[in-house]
Amino acid sequence: MKKKRYLKWEKQSLTTVLYPVIFGILLLILWQTQLLHKMIGADTFALPLPGRILNIILDNGPAIRKNVTATVIVAAGGLFFGSVFGYLLGIIATVFPKWGAGGLSIASAISAVPIIAIAPILNNLTKDISDDANIRSMFAKTIVVTITCTVAMSINAYRGLNELKPYSLDLMKSYAAGKLTVFLKLRIPNSVPYIFVALRVSVPASIISALVSEYFAEFIIGVGRQIRENIVLAQYATAWAYIVVACAIGIIMYGILLCAEGALLRGRR
Amino acid sequence: MRRRKGNLTAAALTIALTTAALTACGGSTGKETAQTTSASESTTAKAEETTEAKGAESAGKYYAADATAKDIVEDAAKKGKVGNWGLGNEYEVQALLSKYGQETGFLSQAFDMDGFDDDSILLASAMTYNELGLVKNSYQGGYGYGDSVKYIDMNDEGVAMLEDNIFTTKEFAKANPNTVKAFVRASMKGWEYACANPEEAAKIVFEAGSSVSSDHQAYMAEEVKKLVETDTKGNKVVDLGKLDDEALQQTLDLAKKYIKLNDSAAAEKLQTLTLDDFRDASYWTDAMSDATLGAPEKTDVSIQLKWLPQAQFMGYYVAAAKGYYKDAGLNVTITPGGGDIGETTAVNSGQVDFGVTWDANLIAANAGGMNLVAVSQVYQRSGLVLVYKVNK
Amino acid sequence: MIRMKKLLSSKYMVTLVWVIGLIIIWEIGATIIEGTKRSPENVLPHLHQILASVFTTNKVNGTQTAFQIVLSNAGITLLRAGIGFVIGAGLGFVLALVMNLFLPVEKILFPYLMMIQMIPILGMAPIVLAITKDINKSRIIIAAILTFYPVATNTLAGFKSVEKEKHELMYSLAASKFEIYRKLLIPSSLPYFFTGLKISAPMAITAAILVDTLQGGAGLGTALSQSLKHATTIYIFWQIVFLSAMIGILSFYLMVLLEQAISPYKRKKK
Repeated sequence: MKKKRYLKWEKQSLTTVLYPVIFGILLLILWQTQLLHKMIGADTFALPLPGRILNIILDNGPAIRKNVTATVIVAAGGLFFGSVFGYLLGIIATVFPKWGAGGLSIASAISAVPIIAIAPILNNLTKDISDDANIRSMFAKTIVVTITCTVAMSINAYRGLNELKPYSLDLMKSYAAGKLTVFLKLRIPNSVPYIFVALRVSVPASIISALVSEYFAEFIIGVGRQIRENIVLAQYATAWAYIVVACAIGIIMYGILLCAEGALLRGRR
Repeated sequence: MRRRKGNLTAAALTIALTTAALTACGGSTGKETAQTTSASESTTAKAEETTEAKGAESAGKYYAADATAKDIVEDAAKKGKVGNWGLGNEYEVQALLSKYGQETGFLSQAFDMDGFDDDSILLASAMTYNELGLVKNSYQGGYGYGDSVKYIDMNDEGVAMLEDNIFTTKEFAKANPNTVKAFVRASMKGWEYACANPEEAAKIVFEAGSSVSSDHQAYMAEEVKKLVETDTKGNKVVDLGKLDDEALQQTLDLAKKYIKLNDSAAAEKLQTLTLDDFRDASYWTDAMSDATLGAPEKTDVSIQLKWLPQAQFMGYYVAAAKGYYKDAGLNVTITPGGGDIGETTAVNSGQVDFGVTWDANLIAANAGGMNLVAVSQVYQRSGLVLVYKVNK
Repeated sequence: MIRMKKLLSSKYMVTLVWVIGLIIIWEIGATIIEGTKRSPENVLPHLHQILASVFTTNKVNGTQTAFQIVLSNAGITLLRAGIGFVIGAGLGFVLALVMNLFLPVEKILFPYLMMIQMIPILGMAPIVLAITKDINKSRIIIAAILTFYPVATNTLAGFKSVEKEKHELMYSLAASKFEIYRKLLIPSSLPYFFTGLKISAPMAITAAILVDTLQGGAGLGTALSQSLKHATTIYIFWQIVFLSAMIGILSFYLMVLLEQAISPYKRKKK
């Protein structure tokens, strides 16, 4: 019985991986043989063939690595600072519930301002930070990503710190636990799954905002900037090579997140 | 009272945390960039004060009024403070940097001149008809530098590449030759009138919905007139919009040298391109002759501009306002540019019929696999200059 | 007096205090910038300057004032955002339904749906443009693509949230598959569907502004990028920043209202 269930689970997870992979291969075949282009009415110009894209990626290893490093630093740095900052905001909001909650609703309102509006302002604001354009651009870009990640994290952290299981708070109180103990033993562990909910939103968001902030940065580097340059110059094959790279960064970061989540939350469910 | 105290603590905490996070952020980005600088050395020349660079800036922060272009370019490049917008506008600047033996890296310049104003860029790119006017003049949006700035002209330095043209796809030109000829004829009539009456042309563009201030519009019209009526060598152009093969060849040669394409197939194609691959003078020749043209095959046509509506494109607005297009049997829609979907993509996808672009962009697009052809060359000389401040 | 006190400690008061606090921080920042930068309005203008630019009668182009330009462009963008949102939300719901009906479809599509979200719109735009040959249709389609994901994932989560017991009850009543969906799954997934809508409504606005910047023409994004490129007064940019934030918040509350109107059974909590 037990073994059977194990097998069933095995089969389930196998298809979870296998189905998308088969679909992907099929899609690539359709794409490479240009059947896909006939189906959607595009030409090989706007949608270059996978072989050519792969060639460009292989040909330009060092240049791509340089741009990827810049983008990953910005995305990961912003993600880290944004998440830490957001979580701290969530804690502050929990400590001062009434005023904190109001602040969080303001924070979510700020997130409605498009990134393209924030990026150029920050570029101007950070002009005095360093004489080196690379450093001050990095700084401006990281702040943009930080802002996007802060909002998602603060709202979720607040929920995680406050949406406790019924009676658990009463139970703690019956043990005469102080506020600090409640925080350390109940609230913070309770918020861990919510952190991952926030991260699932902010990991893709951090990459997209890193790419967009690169469009406006003073120092010319990064995957996003390369996509824009090549689209504007009508070099679609190269632009697509960088888009593939951007997707790969996203998938890898998301994969790392899922692994971390699996490791940390094991035994919780 | 107690609550208020709580609020104050909260506010203090927030501020403290913000500063802490920001400083932490700054510290680590600094460290992080240290890793990347090795990879990006080519673009950031260290801002070290070398003794030989001193020659150009003997007294004061900026450049002596009589400093040579060579000295200024060398100094600004060594400091890593040469600016350009990038996105296909950079080749002339790179050619100039190479001419004086410098690395071809540059800073990404925003579409205002704030970077030049606050000295983060010492040698800034400017179009004679647009940014240069904003730097010099003091009308709304201007910086009012007057004569305390000077500039290096690409035409004088022999690195001029031709800019605004009229282009379409080869298929469209082949299928609709009369439409192309009628469009070129009417547009050139518009340009002729605009150059004869720049003030009125500026007004027409302003009325057509341009958001550029009317003062700047008038300045722009005067400057654009010069670009349309003078060639790279400074001679007067009689036949507006002619395809000047000598200047186009220079554009192509520089393009081959400085357009860097990561796609090896496109890069190879770029090196094999000849003039015949991206310009066809026959439509313009017929359009400017006195012969009567056949009926246009397609009467509803559109033209995509390279940038936002402004006097840079006054010829088309004048032709529309004065009814020249209508007289030619055409119903023309003018679509402004300025977005990230370039005019080459818009024309190639068939979304619009004609476009205005710089020849270097056309060459890059054809190398990438498009099949575009310039049918008229409106600007006969380069409008790009590098502007710098002069010591008082 | 008691009423007064109640009012002072109400939720609105908290928000008001926060807003005032933000205004103060903004103004301090603006004052510092004013003292140090040559063109402070490009970095951080005073709020009253922005407000003044709304009410001024100075014409910034041939016929319109700055605010008139913003408003006329806002109408166009909102229309596109609305159409894109409706298409995206509909598509998201249908996709969730299909994915719930056929497990393999879910397994195949789900990773790709996430990947589509990772493609920058700049990469997508030329393809969509090549297919539609029309920039405005492309804009609507891209706005729809950017908004359907939250709706699809949330609705799917809603379908899955239904307890097994309820399923079994429906089976024991010999209900058909259609009936199960109509009477059980769809009603119980509605709150989740609306959560998705609440996330994607402001996103639709952002997306519509973003796709405007792809090419000239009309729309908030076009006006925003024109203003950023200094082809017109920078205050158009600032007005749009505030307007887009306001529209984003309004669109959120519009979804809340819609939810209350559509699901009367959910009138819980006061």
